[in-house]
Parts: sequence; structure tokens; C-alpha cells
Amino acid sequence: MRDRATAWLTAKSPAVLLPVGTTLLAFVIGGLVVALTGHNPGSAYRAIFNGTGLNYLLPWTSSEDKDFAALNLQQTLIITTPLMLTALAVALPYRCGMFNIGGQGQYVAGIVAAIVVGSHGAGLSKPVHLTLALAAAALAGAAWGGIAGAMKATVGAHEVISTIMLNWIAIYGAQYLFELNGPLQGPLPDVPQSDEITSSAKLPAVWGVLQPLHAGIFLALAALVVYYVLINRTVFGYEVRAVGYNADAAGYGGIPVARSYVATLAIGGAFAGLAGACDVLGWEFHIVTNDIAVSQIGFIGIAVALLGRNSAIGIALAALLFGGLQVGTSARALDPTVFPPQLAGNLAVIIQGLIILFIGAQLLLVYAWRARRRRGAEPPPVPRVDPTAA
Amino acid sequence: MTALDRIPRGARGVAILGIVVGLVGLELALPPLQVQAAAVPVVLGLAAAACAIWALTREERKLGIWALLVAVVATAFAIWVQGKSDTSTSLVVNSGLFAATLVYATPLAYGALGGIFCERAGVVNIGLEGMMLTGAFFGIWGTVWSGHWAIGLVVAMLAGALVALVHAVFSIHLRADQIVTGTAINFLAVGVTGYAFIDIYGSNGTPPSIDSVPSITLPGIESIPGIGGVFGSLNLMIWVVFVLLVVTHLLLFRTPIGLRIRSVGEHPRAADTVGIPVYRIRYACVMLSGVLAALGGAYLSVGFVGSFGQNMTVGRGFIALAAVIFGKWRPYGAFGACLLFGFASGLADRLQSVAGVSPNLLATLPYVLTLIALVGLVGRSRPPAADGQPYVKG
Amino acid sequence: MPDAPLLELRGITKRFGDLVANDGVDLEVAQGEVHALLGENGAGKSTLMNVLYGLTSPDAGEIRFDGKPLRLRSPRDAIDAGIGMVHQHFMLIPVMTVTENIVLAAEPREGPLLDYGKAHDIVRDLSDRYGLAVRPDERIESIGVAQQQRVEILKALYRSARLLVLDEPTAVLTPQETSELFTVIRSLREQGTSIIFITHKLNEVLEIADRITVLRRGKVMATVATTGTDERRLAELMVGRSVQRVEKGAAQPGEPLLSVRDLVVHDSRGLEAVRGASFDVRAGEIVGLAGVDGNGQSELVEAITGLVKPAAGTVVADGHDIGGHGARASFEAGVGHIPEDRQRRGLVLDFTLAENLNLRNVRRRPISRFGILDPRAIAERARRLLGEYDVRGGGPGTRARALSGGNQQKVVIAREMSGTQRILVASQPTRGLDVGAIEFVHKRLLAVRELGAAILLVSFELDEILALSDRILVMYEGRIVAEHGSDVSESVLGLEMMGGGSAAAV
Repeated sequence: MRDRATAWLTAKSPAVLLPVGTTLLAFVIGGLVVALTGHNPGSAYRAIFNGTGLNYLLPWTSSEDKDFAALNLQQTLIITTPLMLTALAVALPYRCGMFNIGGQGQYVAGIVAAIVVGSHGAGLSKPVHLTLALAAAALAGAAWGGIAGAMKATVGAHEVISTIMLNWIAIYGAQYLFELNGPLQGPLPDVPQSDEITSSAKLPAVWGVLQPLHAGIFLALAALVVYYVLINRTVFGYEVRAVGYNADAAGYGGIPVARSYVATLAIGGAFAGLAGACDVLGWEFHIVTNDIAVSQIGFIGIAVALLGRNSAIGIALAALLFGGLQVGTSARALDPTVFPPQLAGNLAVIIQGLIILFIGAQLLLVYAWRARRRRGAEPPPVPRVDPTAA
Repeated sequence: MTALDRIPRGARGVAILGIVVGLVGLELALPPLQVQAAAVPVVLGLAAAACAIWALTREERKLGIWALLVAVVATAFAIWVQGKSDTSTSLVVNSGLFAATLVYATPLAYGALGGIFCERAGVVNIGLEGMMLTGAFFGIWGTVWSGHWAIGLVVAMLAGALVALVHAVFSIHLRADQIVTGTAINFLAVGVTGYAFIDIYGSNGTPPSIDSVPSITLPGIESIPGIGGVFGSLNLMIWVVFVLLVVTHLLLFRTPIGLRIRSVGEHPRAADTVGIPVYRIRYACVMLSGVLAALGGAYLSVGFVGSFGQNMTVGRGFIALAAVIFGKWRPYGAFGACLLFGFASGLADRLQSVAGVSPNLLATLPYVLTLIALVGLVGRSRPPAADGQPYVKG
Repeated sequence: MPDAPLLELRGITKRFGDLVANDGVDLEVAQGEVHALLGENGAGKSTLMNVLYGLTSPDAGEIRFDGKPLRLRSPRDAIDAGIGMVHQHFMLIPVMTVTENIVLAAEPREGPLLDYGKAHDIVRDLSDRYGLAVRPDERIESIGVAQQQRVEILKALYRSARLLVLDEPTAVLTPQETSELFTVIRSLREQGTSIIFITHKLNEVLEIADRITVLRRGKVMATVATTGTDERRLAELMVGRSVQRVEKGAAQPGEPLLSVRDLVVHDSRGLEAVRGASFDVRAGEIVGLAGVDGNGQSELVEAITGLVKPAAGTVVADGHDIGGHGARASFEAGVGHIPEDRQRRGLVLDFTLAENLNLRNVRRRPISRFGILDPRAIAERARRLLGEYDVRGGGPGTRARALSGGNQQKVVIAREMSGTQRILVASQPTRGLDVGAIEFVHKRLLAVRELGAAILLVSFELDEILALSDRILVMYEGRIVAEHGSDVSESVLGLEMMGGGSAAAV
């Protein structure tokens, strides 16, 4: 029994232990920062944890606290939903050998499309209107990602650079659309914000009352399943992985490499676009111009995908972690007498940065570890991406 | 090689002539000269286009396309200006616009020069944004703490070098993916500066009046109409960036050190086999890039605004990166791109107040132009061959 | 020859994991001696030279240079001691000029600036003194391989090398260029420079070397004087047994299966790399395509196998027009392809063998249905092919990376010849393989020919072309400049590969 457990751990350790270790290390360093600036890291982290609402799941939480915890947990899951989707926007192109930094821009494109479709057509029935709005967001995200894919496929423009540029074009472009006197500004002439989503295009609530968890979470979970099946069980996924490991060999084998680039970035973009739709059709219902540049959902998706090692389950867990961190450090959930939320918000960003940094280096540790066990081989090329498991 | 050899000849020279002629046509239509005859810009524009086509047919594609673009855009703009009333034109286009161009271009130029060093040595640096932000915060912090801007700049440079050192260790020794590490740097910079800012200054922000970088006034030039308004009185850090620009160019393309840096970025193994310390050069270049980017950030906070705000660089590091690519990893080219992007920002300010044109729309310009450059419409960009690839010794 | 050796290696041992790349190697090179280091691929020659050049440090052993012990921590130490190396893959920077490459890291200065005028003069002087003609201001990317090699030698001479290591220097040269190189080597020897000449070609060793050290599996088999040995003896030392030439019967060519007409192909920079090539390959014959690297062979192969679109002309395979229809169309029309670089292009090294073996037919039943993979069918087919082609070192679930070069190549061949393929384009099919694996590949190619396949063999090794081909085409600057039967001599081919000889008339 014990041997089997050890064997399982050895086999799975790169996939499980390293992300967990990385996360712990990042939290420990974050705790040092908290301690150095004269706060108690233990109580700060406990307050943040309670802010996430995850204490709802603990058996010893009193029913009184549970009501409050439920509110927080609903918020955490509301943020977890788009994070799972923007992480998929990174993960799928990653398996194809590309680094999609453009999740943020694709997310914004999705928001714009969801608002345009969701705020018009009030007469439509709910299923039709909702489907149209979601589809429009997915298409807009796909188009935004597809541009980068097409640029890579046709002239070899590096997707990292093009998606960075597309992010800022989307952000400034969306600000332009909804700003004062902008073409898509809402009904209030002095307020720079969009139209309201009509009730027929809102995602149904599934848990809670005030700002309830919406059905978008099922959409995100379904997307994870789709991703898993697509990558591991289909010809398309096989081809994507072949291109990701070795685009030259894939091309020699008759796999349409250029099409894989365009398709994965477009599908990834569609996931990010859906993330935008979930936020806008699920709980925001309109967008304020100033919020567009503040939103970090697409960027945090990069951290989620890296920490989740591009696997469906890993992404779900990492999204919950970062969603919780986001809510737990927010002004509305964190007890300001224990730890100031303004500091906590920045602490969350530091922890995200540390996790990305360490994961980047650990990709190598795993590789070195494997290389040592392989005998006599030449030093392995360091992979730009390490698409190990999904 | 004598100085004469460096004057561009043939097709190259003609293309440059075309660019100059096109710009002269525009200049004549602008205040203070304001020539009203449409024939002037049209004739000069045609001459510029002719030069461009002459160059294009003689294998000078890059500059030729530039000359053609300048000819078309400058002529169109000149005619548009002539059609406008004098007052609204001179409100938008005056020496203040060009001074603003320099102000907006300067932080970008520091960042871009940093980016050039880093990428020429073969390390991709998308962490420029974070390094600039770090410089912006620590520049202010150092200035407030010491009471003197010069010390603030030194603190900023040290902080930039430290952040760059993290990038260097992870991407050179640990061979982590440089894009991932750069992304991490950007997150960390936002978090660390934001945390420190709140922790030190609270919600009131940095003190209202701090020691700021002085402007240098050139008495002779100040009184010259047109030029005086632009160059007469400029912040010291703008003059410094001009010097750094020339020094960077000379260093990279005329000195042994530059040859070695470029060899490390093109073919590290070849450099290694002739005894060039690849890692040491990469470390030095990455850290220098951090120092320069931090100076760019410090220019924003200490040199220009006089305060710090959370995430105050808002993407300028990425525009600097875009300028590096747009300028094909060359200092003068990148500086030209910074001027172009700075001009767009300056124009956005003015057009908003005068003509009501959305600044957000104009803010997309640098990114759109860079996408176009990536597609290769303005000549193909070719990065250093080993850019982004970790080097494994032995 | 003076008595004290310039270089002494004593008991050099280097391990990589369980593999002993060098096992107690002793080597002596005298002043002004040309010393050949002979061995198969993987015998440990390169490792030994990396040790000598400070690129890897040995686990045990001693290096003495000029009578004194030498410690090498980096190439810098080797250069300072007077050791120069011309690597098999040139260490030149393509975007820089000849002059810049030569003076790099030892630049003449004028104050803080690089003195380009002086650097130019230095290159001129060296080039005149050793008779190595180069154009100092050309960029490396715009000069040919032979000239690049001269730049590499000048680089070493500029650093006052007293010992010059040439790693497989003739691999990329025509016979005529090789003899020019030998002239240079002889003149260097006369001026007192010692040379280590690494190769696996026996005839060259006998022509140029004073003494020969043979390596096999990391061990020194023998060091012999050139006078008093012969090719057969050396071959036995090198391989450990006697080597036979492959036996092949007369060709029974049938109807043309592959027809190329007036083919024009552009390279990645948009320049014409193939300029109107026309030829047929018939069923049951092997057609060898000889030529120096870079004369359009790669582009020709890529056009036939559907990887690039030809600018003009047609490619017809078994009655199907496949020009510019993509790699899949080419394979479906019956063209199998052994690419020249199996690690980069032939295999997805991080895929399992099963995944690699089904790269070509992943869209076909029963491997997949309606876009969904069938893991059982994939493993099934892989197991059958692995057995059929005698692939050792792993099963269907093994990653391709874990296999030896020879077994990797077997996987490629199994995949490319397993279906209904009647045409095979084999590019450098034996590059980097050991003798046993080379024999396997050659036998397999001949077996496929017996079954009536049409084979186009592209190789830079004239030996291989001459041994296997029924007809030989010579390619020069994008054109087919000559055609021969299998009885043509190496020197005639060599001349035509450089655009000389009868080629001018065609």
C-alpha cells in the first residue's frame, strides 16, 4: 500500500508537488513581506481566507458565519468562472507551442460583443438572446485571437508581440467605444458607461440573492471538459500537440501547421471572449469605461494556466485559488482592521508574480530531473513550452 | 574608413532626400510660415514620391517605402492644414506640440534603449514595463527620502538593476522561459510598488512638492522662433537621452564591446568558442536594460509629473518594446519610433481639446503601427537570431 | 619531425550518465604533424575535441601542451594556449562580415572604437600569407560553404594557432574543394602548424595524414603511421569487423512513377533555388541526386513532397498531379519521405512511438473515426510496425527521444514505407548513423527497390550515391546538369558538382 502510494507520488510529483510547492513558497515570501511591514502574516492570511468564503466548506464554521461566508464564496466563484476561461485561452495555444499573452484583449473583445448583442433585442426569448450574446462574445474573442494566429501563420509574426499589441488596441478601443460621446456610450449623457444588458440576455442565477453566482460557472466547467477531450481524444488535439512539440516534423507529416496556429489562437480567443460574456451577462450587466483598463482577468489567466500546468483539473484548482485570492483581498470581503485591503490587493499581485516566476523556472527542474534519469542522451533542448499533461 | 564614407550615397541617399523634401513641404504649410498655396506641398510631395520610387527601383526597399509614406502623409496633412482656419491649426500644430512630442517620447526612448541592449544580447525583455514602473516608484521614493532628485535617480537605477537581475538569473542561469519571467516581472513590479506605495505613503499619495529634475535652458537657441520653443528649455533628462542615444549607437556598432554583444545575441556558441563570456555579457546587458528602463520610469515620476500613482506607466514599457521592434533593434530606428509614438500622444492631447477627437482612439496608434510593422509592410523586422533562446554551455 | 610532442593527451575519460564517451584516451601530436582521428559517428571524436578545446571538462586525464600541463576551463584558455578549432558546424555569425567574424573577441582598436581599417588589413595579410582567398567585406550568409571554411581557418590562424583541429572538414566539400583544402593543410604543415584531422573517410586519411589514431566506442584502438596501413585494416579497426559493400542486382526499371517537369522553386528568401529541373524516377530503380549542399536539392525535395509550392512546373506521382497541393496530398499519392534531419523533421521526439508511427494516417480509419482517436488501433498498428522493422529500445508507449539514432531512423522508414507507398524520397538517409544502422538502411532501400518502388536518393556522400544508385543526376545551381549510369567516376561527378566538366554542355 505504502509502496503504491510512493510510486504514485513519484509518477505524479512533477504534476502535483511542484505547483503545490511553488504556491506555498510564494505565500511564504508574501508572508515575509507582510511581516516586514509590521503586520501579522498569520492573521492577515486567515482574514484573507475568510474573505474568500472558503470557510463555508469547513464543518466547524458556525451557521451564522456561514451566511456571510456564502456571500463571499459566491463572489469567489463568480471570479473563478472567467479565470478558468481566460486560462484556457492560454492553455490551448500553449499546447500548440504558442504563448498567448492576449487573453486580456480577447476578454475585452468578448465584453464589447456581449454588450452590443445583450443590450439590444429586448423582444427575444431568453434562450435565443442569451445564446446569441454568448456566441457573439465567443466570435469576437476568436476574431481577436485569430488575428494573431493569422499573422503568425502567414508572415511568422511572433504571437507574444502581436497579442501584446492587440491587448492595448482592445483596451483603448473599448474605452473609445464607451467613453463620453463614444459611439456605444449608454443612455446617460454624463456617465461614460455602456448600455444595460436586457433581462432576456442575463445568465440565470444559481446560488444566492444579492449578487448571486450565475450559470456561467457551468459554462466554464463545460469548457474545461471540452478542452480535455479536444486535446487528448481528437485528431485535432493530436495535431495541435504535434505542432506544439515540433512544428517542422508536424509539417512533414502533412499536418496543416498554419491552420493549427490560427485555430488554437481563435479557439483560445473564443474561451476568453466567453469569459468576458460571463462577467457582463452574469453580474456586471454594463461596463464602465474606467474599469476596462483596471480589469486583470485576462492577465491573471496566464498565471492560472501556468500554475495549472495547462491541465483541465489543474486550471480549475488554480482558478479557484486566484479567484479566492482576488475576492479575499478585496475591500468588500477583507476585514480592514486586520489587514488593509489596499495592501492585500497588491499582496495578491505579488503572490501571482512569484508563482509565475517560480513555475517558469520549475519547468526546467522537471526537465533536468527527467534528463538525469535518461541515460547517455545529449543535453535536452529546453522547451519553450512544456505541454506535459492535460 | 573616413567620415566621408558614412554619408549615405546612391539609392539610400535619394530615399533620405525624399523624406526630407516631404517634411519640408509639410513644414512650409505649418505655423509660423503657413504658406497657403496648395501647389507648394503638392510639388514637394511629388518630388519626394519621385525620390522614393527612384530608390525603390534600386533595391532600397526599406527607406524607399518610408519616403513614399512620408510623401503621401505629409502632403495630405499639409493640404488639410491649409484648409483649416489659421487659429485652430496653430492651436494644434505649434512648437508646443513638438516639445510635447519630446516629453512623451523620452520615457519611451529610455525604455527602448534598454530593450535594445537586452535583446541584442539575446534576452527577450517583456518585463520592460515592470522595470519602468519600478524606476518610477523608487525614483520618487529616493527623492523624497534624500530630498534630492539626483539621489532619487540613483535609487531608481539601482532598483531597476535589481529587478533586471531577477530576470537575468531566471532566464540565463535557470533557463526559464524568458516570456514567462518577463510576465512575472511585470506582475511583481505592480505588486511591489503598489504595496510599498500604500505602506509608505498611505492613501494620501506622495508629498505634493518634491525636488524635481531641472530644465536646461539654452540662451542662444531659446530666442530662435520655432526651434526655440522646442529646444530652448528642455528637461535635463531629455538632453541625457539624446546623448545616450548616440552613445548606444556608437557602442553597439563601432566598438569591440558592441561587436561582442551582438555576437552573443546572434550566435552565442560561436561567441563562446572564441572566448567571449556569454553569460557575463548577457547579465550586464539585462541589468543595463533595467537601469535604462528605470530611468525612463523615473523621468515620468521625478522628471515630469512629480508624483507616483499605482501602475502609473500604464503600458509605456510595452510601447517601448514596440519601438524596439519598429526600429528593428537599432537605436536610431527605435528613437524614430519613439518620436512617432510621442507625436501621436502629443497630438491626441491637443486634438481632444481643439477638435474633440478621442484620445483613446489615437492611443491605439503605436500598437496598430507596430502590428503593421510586424506584418512586414514597412520592411521585415528581423530580431537577433538567438533572441529568447537560453544558452547552454558545453 | 622533432621528438617532443606538441600535444599529449593522457588517459582522458569523459562520462555522460552511464555512457562512457571517452575511455582513457591517449593521443600525441607532434610539431608540424597532420594527425588523423578516425572513427564512426558516436565513437567519441567530438567529445575528445570538446575536451581539448575547453568546451567540456574531462572526468579524468591530463592534457600537456608544449611539454607543460594545460588546464582548460573555457575555449579562451585553449585559444590562449594556441589551439584553434574549425567545428563541423561552422561557428560563424551569418549577419556579420568575414572581417568581423575573424577579429571577433580580439579586435584591433583605435581608442575605444574598433579599427575597421586595420582589421581589414589584417584579414588581407593573413589571406595572402596562407593562400586562403576570402572577400573581407562580404557577409557570411552570402558566401559559399568552402569560403566559410576558409574564414574559420583564418579565424584560428589570426589567433596564432599552433595546433589546428579540423572536425569533419570535407563533409560539405566537393572532391575538388577537398583537394584545395589539402593543399592548404600541406602548406600549413610546412610552416610548422600541427593539425588534427577528424574524419570517418578512409581514403582522405590515407592521403593527408602522417599518423592515424582510430577510436571505437570511446577507446583508442590503435595509432598507426600512414605508411604501412591500408583502407581495409583501418576499416576493421574502426568498425571492429570487416565491412562488405552492399550487394545489389541489376535494376529492372518499369514505368515512370515520379515525373518532374520544368520545376522552378523559390527558397525562403524568394530567390530561385530550383531553376527548371526535369527528370523521371521509374519503378524499381534508385536515382541518386548528387550535388554540393545548397544547390537546390532541399528545395527540390520539399517541392516533391508537398512542403513548398513550386513557382512553376509540374510534379506527377503515380498519375496524380501533386505540385503545390501540400504534404498530405503528396503522401496520399504514394510519396514517402525520409527527411534529411530526422530529429528536427522526421520525428516528434516528445511523442510516443505509437503517435509518431501514425503521424501520416491519423485521419484515416481505423486510427480515428469522425475526428475522434482510437487509442487501441493506434497502439495495435504501432506494435505491428515496430516488430516488422525490428525497432529496438522501446515499445509503442516509449517516447521517440529515448531511442538511438538508428532505431529512430527505422521508425521513420517504417512510417514512410508502411502503407501503399510506391515512391520514396530519401534525403541523407544515413547521416549520423553508425555502420550497422547504415547497412540496415541501405539493405532496406534495396529491398524496397526490389518490390518495384521508385526511389530518389539525395546524398552529399558520393560513396553512398555510387553504391546504391542505378542512375545518377548531378544538381548544380538549381539545375540538373548531368545524368550518368552507376559506372561514373567520383572525379567526374565532383567536377560537375562544381559546374565544370561536361555540365557546361548540357
